[in-house]
Amino acid sequence: MKQIDEGEIIGRVLGGDREAFAVLVDAYKGPVFRLAFRMTGSTPDADDLTQESFLRAFQSLGRFRAGERFFPWLYTVSLNVIRNHLRKVNALPEVATEKGMPDATDPCCDAADAAISRELGRRLQGYLLRLPVPIREALVLRFYEGLSFDDIASVTGDKLSSAKMKVYRGLEKIRAMMKEDGFADDETRS
Amino acid sequence: MTKRGVERIRGLDPVKDRELEKIIGELDGKGPSPEAGELDSRWKELDGIARMMREEPAPEPPTGLGESIMSRVRAHRSSPWKVISEALLKPREVSFHPLKALRSPVSGKECSFYFIMVGVFYAILGVILMVGLHRLGASLVTPGWVRWQPQIALVTAGCMVAIGLYLLKDGKVALRMARVGALVYLGFSLLNGIFVSLEWALPVSAFMSLLSALIGLPTGFFLIRTIQNCGKQYA
Repeated sequence: MKQIDEGEIIGRVLGGDREAFAVLVDAYKGPVFRLAFRMTGSTPDADDLTQESFLRAFQSLGRFRAGERFFPWLYTVSLNVIRNHLRKVNALPEVATEKGMPDATDPCCDAADAAISRELGRRLQGYLLRLPVPIREALVLRFYEGLSFDDIASVTGDKLSSAKMKVYRGLEKIRAMMKEDGFADDETRS
Repeated sequence: MTKRGVERIRGLDPVKDRELEKIIGELDGKGPSPEAGELDSRWKELDGIARMMREEPAPEPPTGLGESIMSRVRAHRSSPWKVISEALLKPREVSFHPLKALRSPVSGKECSFYFIMVGVFYAILGVILMVGLHRLGASLVTPGWVRWQPQIALVTAGCMVAIGLYLLKDGKVALRMARVGALVYLGFSLLNGIFVSLEWALPVSAFMSLLSALIGLPTGFFLIRTIQNCGKQYA
């Protein structure tokens, strides 16, 4: 979505046209849902948190600065909602992963490949949920959402070096967990 | 990367500064460098994990999620407290940094704000002086110039607010007028301090003289400097 469109839509919402907010919801519900899912590992929680994040964004829209990019701002709002949730429930990874994975847009053609891919995804999600929340955030934003280190620093409120450090630490921790689990080196190197 | 950051990673892992920079740079999309050597295997493992995450299919949001969000948005009613706090926390269009205004260009709005604030200050000062002199019973016996101090402060306040409001137009003429106003104010503050100090018969005259000089001179110089910096936008 173009920056100018977002500005116009936000202006309309602030002017009282609540229905205009639907455009922003349609554009960003996917990324926010994915972020919430990766952080919690639970589809129902991700659903609730996505709704809560958008509602919070709607309530705080007056604080959005003109000229700022909407997407990182929305990510920051969503991350705060997710952090609060995780603090409250102190979610256990084992419980969270049992809640299952949502349907994925997997271009896989082969059933066996799809099964392997699902298993890999499940394992990765499990490792991710065992990481401390700040490190998990950095990894999700970097590799699942494809944000640059600069954007990660801006969204999380960290310094650039700190954002890089968290990503590195996260990868190292996952590598260690994979080794503990006997996850074959070939799978990561291939 | 900062030295502190490197020290933190040292606590976690025996990787050295140079190696860490290399690994992060490589993970940032630059790929392994030819001289990577022993880091190559480590990089491959980390890159493999990163690649698995990147290639992980994206979960789709449940159908009806958008509509659920919009239902909550439609049903949302802000409490009066929320409305007030939002209004107070709303980002300002103009930032006000008096120290910055002395060094870098400022907008007409910011310049206007400083003039209006000086006006507000003199209005308060005028009222205080008026009440104070009245309570002291000094107005009947004070020499002419000291007796007029409250009125002088109030007139100064009026002029400053008027200039401030005119500056909101953010034009060259307003700026020129503000410059003249600030110069007159500076000169008058100086003269006022001298005139008041000549009337030693009243104890408050020394206080008035000091007040006029100590407030008037720095404020006058500040306003002139701000106007100069405001003028840079037209340069």
